[in-house]
Amino acid sequence: MASGGLPPLIAAQLNYLLNHHSLDVKVEQMWSGNKCYPGVLDRFTIAIPFCLDVVKWDVMYNADSPMSAPDIIFGPEDESFHPFSAKSPKNCSLLDDWNSRDPTRLMALIQELRDRYVDYQRKRVGDVDDARLNFEISTIVFREGIEMALSSGAEKPEEVKFAVPITDMKIDRMVPGCPWRGPPKIYLQVIYPVGKKHVTAPLAPRLKLVSSSELKSFFSIEDVKLPPWSDGMCMAEYLPHLEESLEKQILEAVSLIDVRRRFIEALVPQFGWPLEADPVFCRKATFLAGSGVFTFLVHFMISTQFPKQQPALMLHSCQHLTSQGVPIKSSLMTEYPWSPRWETPQMAERICEFLADEALNFKRHCNESQLQH
Amino acid sequence: MDDLPVEKIAISGPTLASLMQRFSSSTGPIDGLLFGHVSFLTPSTLSDDSTTTSSSSSSETLIATVTSFLSSSSTSLSFYSPSGRVNPSHLAPSSSSSLLGWFSARRKSPLRPSMREFSVSESLSSLPNLSFPILNSSSSLSPCIFLLLTTPIPDQAIHTHEYRAYQFRASTESFDPKSVDIVNIGPAFRGHYGAFSPNSNFPSLACELRSSAMVEDKKEEEESSSRVKQAAEDQRHLDQCAEGFEIGRLSLMIGSEATNYTTGLEDLYEKMLAKIENLAREVELSSAKVFEQENHNRKLRQKAARYAGSE
Repeated sequence: MASGGLPPLIAAQLNYLLNHHSLDVKVEQMWSGNKCYPGVLDRFTIAIPFCLDVVKWDVMYNADSPMSAPDIIFGPEDESFHPFSAKSPKNCSLLDDWNSRDPTRLMALIQELRDRYVDYQRKRVGDVDDARLNFEISTIVFREGIEMALSSGAEKPEEVKFAVPITDMKIDRMVPGCPWRGPPKIYLQVIYPVGKKHVTAPLAPRLKLVSSSELKSFFSIEDVKLPPWSDGMCMAEYLPHLEESLEKQILEAVSLIDVRRRFIEALVPQFGWPLEADPVFCRKATFLAGSGVFTFLVHFMISTQFPKQQPALMLHSCQHLTSQGVPIKSSLMTEYPWSPRWETPQMAERICEFLADEALNFKRHCNESQLQH
Repeated sequence: MDDLPVEKIAISGPTLASLMQRFSSSTGPIDGLLFGHVSFLTPSTLSDDSTTTSSSSSSETLIATVTSFLSSSSTSLSFYSPSGRVNPSHLAPSSSSSLLGWFSARRKSPLRPSMREFSVSESLSSLPNLSFPILNSSSSLSPCIFLLLTTPIPDQAIHTHEYRAYQFRASTESFDPKSVDIVNIGPAFRGHYGAFSPNSNFPSLACELRSSAMVEDKKEEEESSSRVKQAAEDQRHLDQCAEGFEIGRLSLMIGSEATNYTTGLEDLYEKMLAKIENLAREVELSSAKVFEQENHNRKLRQKAARYAGSE
């Protein structure tokens, strides 16, 4: 996908970067800077995750000379970021010994630049003249993986953003058969307005929990209620409470996977073996059911709030098609007799009873919609 | 080395036009060196406009004037390494004008200095043997001027050239954007010529008017016979162009007999024009050959790049 129109040497490097970087680097746009070969793309903008946001850098190769090292143009707000300045202690052999046949080079360069960018932003935040911030940094800077950034624009007030990694729970190991490559990352985003000298009471920071997307298959980070931030609090005080309560909630979510599994198993005596079921997080199961000669599928969609929230059901006819040739499905059913206090076998029984009636309605609905055309 | 702030950067219209032409005719990005001079300008306080405040007259301002450039090939990194370290051995000192800095021209890219451009500017202004004296002053300046030329990223129906000039300040490690004065000919620009000195050096031909006393030169002839040889050679070249109308005869142009000579002189001018036309044609033909060769080279490079990638 990325290689359309890119010279092969450059394409190899870009693809390696996109497929192997531990962070989700994305290409925003690609274009050509060459006059004779406008179809040969040699420039692209990449978006690199940083501090729960992205930084966008333009990578510029030269289509006339695809073996040369690329050049980078940083964002307009990073005019003072000079990673390869003569004053920086590290050398720049990465560029001087550029080997265009080595597909890992671009990734190595971007990683090196990102590391230096993290240091650069940390230094910028450290230079902010704000007593509370300086204190926060001194107590929290040792946390591994913490990132911070100073954002300032012409119109908006200066803010300091922290992305604090929360909990080192190995969630992937707690879920049997988990397909993830590593534990999902959870961050607390803390945004401090930079204090004005004359304001006496500093404003509380804005807090938000953010996680990598895979976590939502069994835990909804948006539903976590953050502990209140009291006046005069600091992050070093706040974080242990948050971590403790979050870990408790994650453990509970893990135990809920088993509750869902038992529920799916309890459906077996009623419906027979499922045709399909999500074996890891137990969020979905599909059974074959029949009412007389009318056979249909029942899809169970089980939320992370189960058993508090009842499963959503959908019926799916095996015998009726719409005019477009698509099997007829019922709408999602979430309102039917339910109590979270029932025993699991009873839940299965009650759903079975409900479906016995509903199957007739669905059959009528199917027949009617087929008669219409 | 002083890190004096330059007030503005002046460039003559033809130089900028030629730079843009060089850029727009190249297939890829180009870069190169900028030459010229830096001088103090005492602002003129004479003005017809009474509202003009004379606030700037208290101090002299420094003006960098770019008079010529040297562009390097677009495919090889020229005088610096891929990381932007300048190789001083590639920068031979030029006698007539000082090395003011460098330029970079790249199509379809943001009008901001890149990572490498920063390093090159930093490296260039930190080399002590490259600093040059400021005219009419005892201070010196390093090659700190950077001219960036780009075109907009989205395709446009109108040819657009964007450019911005900077002074690299070693003390703050940053680029200071500077205003660019394009010096053109015309009444509006008359003021600019106050500090504008021409850069095209007339070759120092060591010949003189034949009609003047040759006796006095005898002594000098003895001093250096090689100089005389050079003078004779230069004279021969001049005579070739003049075709019998040597300077001595020109004095006949003045006075009552002038009309007799005008036809002869017109004839000479016509011959000269014909020669120039011939020269122009030759240049055109050789340019076409160069262009053809460049095209061929580019195709070979593309082939090589494709082959290298498909291995």
